[in-house]
Amino acid sequence: MSLSKILGTRVISILVAVAACVLLDKALSSVIQDAYYIRLVMLAGIYVTLSVSLNLINGITGQFSIGHAGFYMVGAYAAGLSSNAFFDKQPLDMPAYLLISVLVGAGAAAIAGLIVGLPSLRLKGDYLAVVTLGFGEIIRIVTLNQEQWGGSYGYNLTHKYQSIALVFLLAILCVAVCRNLLKSAHGLAFLAIREDEVAAQAMGINLTKTKVTAFVVGAAFAGAAGALFAHDSAFINPDLFKMEVSFLILTMVVLGGTGSITGSVLAACTLFIIPEMGRIIKFEVSQGMLVALLVGVGAMVWSVRRITNHYHGPKSTKSLLYLTSFFAPLVVGFVLGKLIETYTILGDKVYKANDVRLVILSVVLLVVMLIRPTGLLGHHEFSWDWVKRKLSRRMILEAEA
Amino acid sequence: MDAVFPLVAGLHLDFNALPQQFINGIVVGSIYALIALGYTMVYGVLRLINFAHGEVFMLGAYTALLSSYAMGYSPEAVKKIFQSGGEVTSSPLNLVILILVSMAVCAVIGALIEFFAYRPMRSESRTAALITAIGVSLFLQYAGQLFLPANPPPSISDKVNPYSGSFSHVFKPAVIAEDGNVISTAMEVSITHGRLTMLVTVIVLMLLLTYLVMYTKAGRAMRAASHDFDSAALMGINVNRVVTFTFMLGSALAGAGAMMLATFEGTALQPFFGVLPGVKAFVAAVLGGIGNIPGAVLGGIVMGLAETFVTWLGFSQYKDAVAFVILIIVLLLKPGGLLGSSKVEKV
Repeated sequence: MSLSKILGTRVISILVAVAACVLLDKALSSVIQDAYYIRLVMLAGIYVTLSVSLNLINGITGQFSIGHAGFYMVGAYAAGLSSNAFFDKQPLDMPAYLLISVLVGAGAAAIAGLIVGLPSLRLKGDYLAVVTLGFGEIIRIVTLNQEQWGGSYGYNLTHKYQSIALVFLLAILCVAVCRNLLKSAHGLAFLAIREDEVAAQAMGINLTKTKVTAFVVGAAFAGAAGALFAHDSAFINPDLFKMEVSFLILTMVVLGGTGSITGSVLAACTLFIIPEMGRIIKFEVSQGMLVALLVGVGAMVWSVRRITNHYHGPKSTKSLLYLTSFFAPLVVGFVLGKLIETYTILGDKVYKANDVRLVILSVVLLVVMLIRPTGLLGHHEFSWDWVKRKLSRRMILEAEA
Repeated sequence: MDAVFPLVAGLHLDFNALPQQFINGIVVGSIYALIALGYTMVYGVLRLINFAHGEVFMLGAYTALLSSYAMGYSPEAVKKIFQSGGEVTSSPLNLVILILVSMAVCAVIGALIEFFAYRPMRSESRTAALITAIGVSLFLQYAGQLFLPANPPPSISDKVNPYSGSFSHVFKPAVIAEDGNVISTAMEVSITHGRLTMLVTVIVLMLLLTYLVMYTKAGRAMRAASHDFDSAALMGINVNRVVTFTFMLGSALAGAGAMMLATFEGTALQPFFGVLPGVKAFVAAVLGGIGNIPGAVLGGIVMGLAETFVTWLGFSQYKDAVAFVILIIVLLLKPGGLLGSSKVEKV
């Protein structure tokens, strides 16, 4: 009798996840000395949680929430305030203490999600988007004016606890909940609402209940992520939860492909770096080069779109054309930029990475949307079956050769 | 009666300032209304929230600033005139030129954004289009941060605007007391000539817009496209041209609003200053019922009044939040907005 039959696959996978996270925590903290890089790993985990939880609302249920930073903020402040109030004098053991804080943060955000969701989910599409955006802003402005919470100066937590293991466990939990939901009958109800609300209602799905569930679960995960974030730096500030953060999370969801959990994870792991870019990747770019590269990117978008819409030849030629039209304009732009630099046509103003990082974010967003509107992965998910299929096809090809 | 008295502990209400606040609210609201019209018209035709509209507004203000420099009001030129003992003079004609330039440039920018970013997305899902709009908005903000003058002088009002600092109309209602003497109350309402000009311009622009939309061929095409985009296309209306026209119209209105805000109110310019008016105007458009032109005007005025009223109550720090609070309340009570109709969706 195998081990999986005694314990069940679920227990085993939980044990494996916990062990992997703890090991990762230990390994990282012994290998990486610089606290800043540990923080980056942590941020990656937090953004994975945020984007996957927003994907549950936007991609899977098809609602349109653009105020996710609001729930993130509620979680962070609830955890910070409660931990300062209750654990100020006698700090508990670290993981237990953090766990309680995370639960508090998740609970507060879930309540906020219920309060926002219950009345506003009767609204459709764009109206819902506006209400969620408004909610995020209201929360931020109200917090900004609470002097006992530090107002715009920010709020200091007494205890600073970092736990990569917990951050990654949360991310894994979030992914697992979303994935298992999609495989269950409840999850099909979420998908049905995304595809056609009226038809879903006709099939007996309780629209409000399902939507509010998605909203509350998504908010709770964001709140838990906020709690971990607050304890990571022991300092929170309303400016950390601005509209731009909501947009960044939304960008991750859409770039990865709305509805694709794998896509959200991948996009979160790539894009979380952008707000931090001024500190890790250091480069300088002259004004002329920047303008030339922007022109190159524009030309690239134009040529790639032209091939998508007008070329109907064989597949291999098409991918070759894609590659050429993707890289050639960029190279031309680069050369043009070098020329402008050498002859100093546009002056010698130089920008640092920190100045151009958000321009890069917006350009990446625009380029992906214009050349692949469904996001990188569309509705697809990573699965072992897919890997097996690819491998077996290759084996068949090799056997034929 | 004491002019200022505490109503609630810590809350001082000056009732004599109420009419003045009302005027202020109308002026602010009229600018919101001008921007909201752009949102609402685009939404009416394309069902797209044009998040980049606030940035068009920002670029309009910068256009006004830079063209006022080109007209000889740049800080260096003004300094030179002062040093030689001369005086900087201005005329209303300058203002007319500025507003026209600003409107024209904004119209072109709006059309360009539509052509390059939104037209390719028209056949895609609405979420994708919305994300593109957010992308354009972010791009214009951050590229503006790189390429536009970082710290332009806080305002262009005092040099270009012949009405700045000039006298204002003061209304002091007289009250006849019981003994027959005429006493003047402490209540007074003043409005500077700049603000008066602003209000008149907004009203003129709105009348022009009404004429354009209701009585011209292009306007009729726009209304048809707004009613049913696909059927309009089938009836031989060139919908691409209609969309471009709509974008140009909305952006031109935003440009006019931006020029007036920068010139008459002396708002400090920076690449991010379009965000807040943009979001508020959008909220105003939704408040009035998005896609509904009179609704946008009403929403803008309501928004302006609400903001000044909150400031009057002494909660000026919550000024930016009140917009959303009103919006949420209105949407929950009347999901289609104040003047919008909530349609029953047919299968």
